[in-house]
Amino acid sequence: MSLLLMAPALLLLLAVFLWPMLDYAWLSLQAQTVFTGLKPVPVGLANWERLLGDGRFWQDAAQTLRFAVVSVGLELLLGLAIALLLHQSWRGRGLVRSLSLLPWALPTTVMALGWRWILNDPNGPINGVMQSLGLPSLPFLASTQLAWLAVVLADTWKTTPFVALLLLAGLQMIPTDLYEAFALEGGRPWQGLRRITLPLLRPYVLIALIFRLAQALGVFDLVAVLTGGGPASSTETLALYAYLNAMRFLDFGYSATVMLGMFVLLLASALLLVLAQQRWRGARP
Amino acid sequence: MSSSPLRQRPALLRISMVALLMLWSLAPMLWQLYTSLRTPESLLAGLAGLGGGWTLANYSAVLQADPPFGVYLLNSTVVGALSTLLTLALAIPCAYALSRRSDLLKLVIGGGLLAAAVFPYVLLFLALLQVARQLGLANNLLALCLPYAGLSLPLAVLLLQAAFADLPVELEENALLEGFSLGQRLRWILLPLIGPAVVSTGLLVFLFSWNEFPIALTWLSRSELLTLAPAMARIAGSSVFTVPHGAFAAATVLGGVPLLALLLIFQRQIVAGLTQGAIKG
Amino acid sequence: MQSAALGGSEPGCDLRPAARQAWFAVGLGLGLALALLWGGLAWAGRPTTVRLLMPAPFADATAELVESFNREHRGLRIAVTRGPFETESVSDLAISSLLLGDSPYDLLLMDVTWTAKYAAAGWLLPLDDWLGPEPLAPLVAGARAGNIIDGNLWRVPMVADMGLMYWRTDLMAAPPRTPTELVAISERLQRQGKVRWGYVWQGRQYEGLSCVFLEMLRGFGGNWESSGEGLGTPAATKAASWLRQLIVKGISPAAVANFAEPEALQSFEAGEAAFMRNWPYAWQELQGPSSRVAGKVGVTMMVAEVGEPPAATQGSWGLSVLAGSRHPAEAVQVLQALTGEASQRLLVQRWGYSPTLTALFDDPALVAERPLLPILQNALESVALRPLNPGYAQLSDILQRQLSSVITGELEPALAMERAGRGSQLLLEASGRGSEQ
Repeated sequence: MSLLLMAPALLLLLAVFLWPMLDYAWLSLQAQTVFTGLKPVPVGLANWERLLGDGRFWQDAAQTLRFAVVSVGLELLLGLAIALLLHQSWRGRGLVRSLSLLPWALPTTVMALGWRWILNDPNGPINGVMQSLGLPSLPFLASTQLAWLAVVLADTWKTTPFVALLLLAGLQMIPTDLYEAFALEGGRPWQGLRRITLPLLRPYVLIALIFRLAQALGVFDLVAVLTGGGPASSTETLALYAYLNAMRFLDFGYSATVMLGMFVLLLASALLLVLAQQRWRGARP
Repeated sequence: MSSSPLRQRPALLRISMVALLMLWSLAPMLWQLYTSLRTPESLLAGLAGLGGGWTLANYSAVLQADPPFGVYLLNSTVVGALSTLLTLALAIPCAYALSRRSDLLKLVIGGGLLAAAVFPYVLLFLALLQVARQLGLANNLLALCLPYAGLSLPLAVLLLQAAFADLPVELEENALLEGFSLGQRLRWILLPLIGPAVVSTGLLVFLFSWNEFPIALTWLSRSELLTLAPAMARIAGSSVFTVPHGAFAAATVLGGVPLLALLLIFQRQIVAGLTQGAIKG
Repeated sequence: MQSAALGGSEPGCDLRPAARQAWFAVGLGLGLALALLWGGLAWAGRPTTVRLLMPAPFADATAELVESFNREHRGLRIAVTRGPFETESVSDLAISSLLLGDSPYDLLLMDVTWTAKYAAAGWLLPLDDWLGPEPLAPLVAGARAGNIIDGNLWRVPMVADMGLMYWRTDLMAAPPRTPTELVAISERLQRQGKVRWGYVWQGRQYEGLSCVFLEMLRGFGGNWESSGEGLGTPAATKAASWLRQLIVKGISPAAVANFAEPEALQSFEAGEAAFMRNWPYAWQELQGPSSRVAGKVGVTMMVAEVGEPPAATQGSWGLSVLAGSRHPAEAVQVLQALTGEASQRLLVQRWGYSPTLTALFDDPALVAERPLLPILQNALESVALRPLNPGYAQLSDILQRQLSSVITGELEPALAMERAGRGSQLLLEASGRGSEQ
């Protein structure tokens, strides 16, 4: 009976998640390109060989990872600060909490278009301020470092509220008498943060970390609209590379291989994260 | 003296922190709103053009484009609403059944759901594109709900299962003794009790479907069927002569306002849904 | 049964309930049959619709032509879908419709670089059997290339397009002829405070950058061969480092690395720059009311080293019939109408698009009306073609990526061009292997 109740949902889940992976596994062994008239031709491991020697795949992998680590790190720091601020009781807190959640609710492509204008050189507001201060304008989307920074900024802006909210939920689960006891023993508030809050918040930090890292490693919407991967492919992520291979270069076999390669890297980093987490636990019992 | 510096400083610090937070969160959106109301000339004049040059022309340009902007909003609403209904219809029985089991299967399914919930789904687009082609599901807003429901299911089932698990077993046992069937128990006893969880799950699914980009980008090619996210991307590449920053900004405002309204109205439920996920997960 | 009961109770009604029902059924049947017949007739009399996807500017330019075509043809009408502006966005849209299988279009207005790819993918209908012998004979030589691939005709050009250099007639007596002159004039004008920038062009990592580069590559004595080779050469390095130096010397703004056509046009139109690289469409806009340089703009060919002929990247737009079209005969009819002389004449007169037919370039009345025509014809005689390879999109992507690294100062020109050459080589080898099997 209970299997019957679960069957429709599980079938759809298998169709949406498992079927694509099997499809890619098959497709990655085929040459299905514009040169084969878009028909699959078995080529063995040729796509995989190409992947291993493809400097662009590895550069994109490094860029994606760097983007994910830096932006998630920033989001955790900022999110923690915001959560601590919202955890105190003061007037208007509810309103501020709702307003600060707004960036998270907007569709990524909507604000990506907005950022293109805000960061415009020379007519955007940021460069307007720079010029009025007599400073040279910043070519945000025309320089590799600045474009990367722009993507990190836009992502941090959008997803920090989500992290803050998770951490706030965690803060609210910490019993207040712990702090009272700590204060009675003569502890200072800042020490309380380090000795009570952070350790007890750890599971929430971990959830936010895993959730956000997985999403950030798959970032696509933002770069597709904000930078298109440029300049010099410095903001190209693995997901965008896989998309370009399929939709622009019409090389489906290789696109599938890139996605499987990305999946393997994801699994590897998840494993690393689990190991690191166990180390962390082991070091500080 | 009540206004001793010791008491004032934290308050001052807090006020400045809150002000900073609001500036950070709202300024980019307010700038878009401002841009959307300006004439092209005043925008290109930099800070010197802060004075005159207000207009609604950007909005009428966007609303009277071909297809008009309202079509995208309508499409997104239809897809969002139907995907939410479909997801809930599939997730509620599944979550119920899952919450009543305590065996290895539950562990396996639960683990699988958790993995699927954090999976970066953009990886799936190429295979889903092939599915759309082979089954003739392309350019069909109803069909688009299928992958959306599939992608939303992991989180939805996990959230609802946690809600079901919180209900005391005695409740259902009593109903069983009184001869209620499974359907009746769900409809009259269990669902009303997990109502809040259903609402917040539904809202999260709606937000996801409204905002989704890669699948919509590859499943829809007809402009009159586009949902908001791919429409914005297409607008970004559609300027003919000079870049219409004002019209772009009007599009971002129009595309953002419905969601902002939704968030402000249902913020309690959405926050509850998000934090439930964290606490139970 | 309610109606039967009512009928029975009605005085003066001599029909029995059962009979009433029978009559009702007959009436309903007749009505249905009539409705079906009428619907069928309407269906048969409905005009065949030929659907056509075009980039936005061409949809606007041809609106009048399409309207008059629809007025003149009873059983045939054209429905135009207004696509995005950017070439790559239109291609993305067309490809996603074609990949989804049920392409909603019969005809596609295609950029010259798509032809090989679309033909190899099996998306196009060969036109040889439909258009009679020598359909390209009336075209000027520069517009003929890029339509016949592997012995089949896939596309008929509607407008020619070529990269041009726009210059300010109020700031100099004659335009520069060589890269060195362009730099010298720019620096002088910038020093004198006449313009903020010397030269604006398309430096974003996209197809336009490949077009800009090809002209300079030719100008420095190199070539991008139709096979896709020629990027790892000294001429390529010279062209790339010249572009980089424009930014280093402050002749072009750093933001040019994110410029596409609209940004360059916006800057030039505002009077900020002395030179701009763009397509013929910009001319009309520069004479418009929002332009600060109206009447002060000249058009010429891109600069080239002494002894090298100047080059203009060919970027023509042409119509192709999609293989999935259900009305190929009607689609060909529309194709002929829109690429014909009357249509091209209107596109020149009204919108300033370059024609492809020799007859129009040779028409003195038209030349008097559009003084730009001889310049365009001149440019068409020295067009540079991008490689006609089904893998062109990827070849160009490899080039754009390396060029963008040079322009942003990430890579030395020689190294970047060597990588571009090697990358294209690898791709061509891999594709050879793919097609052999």
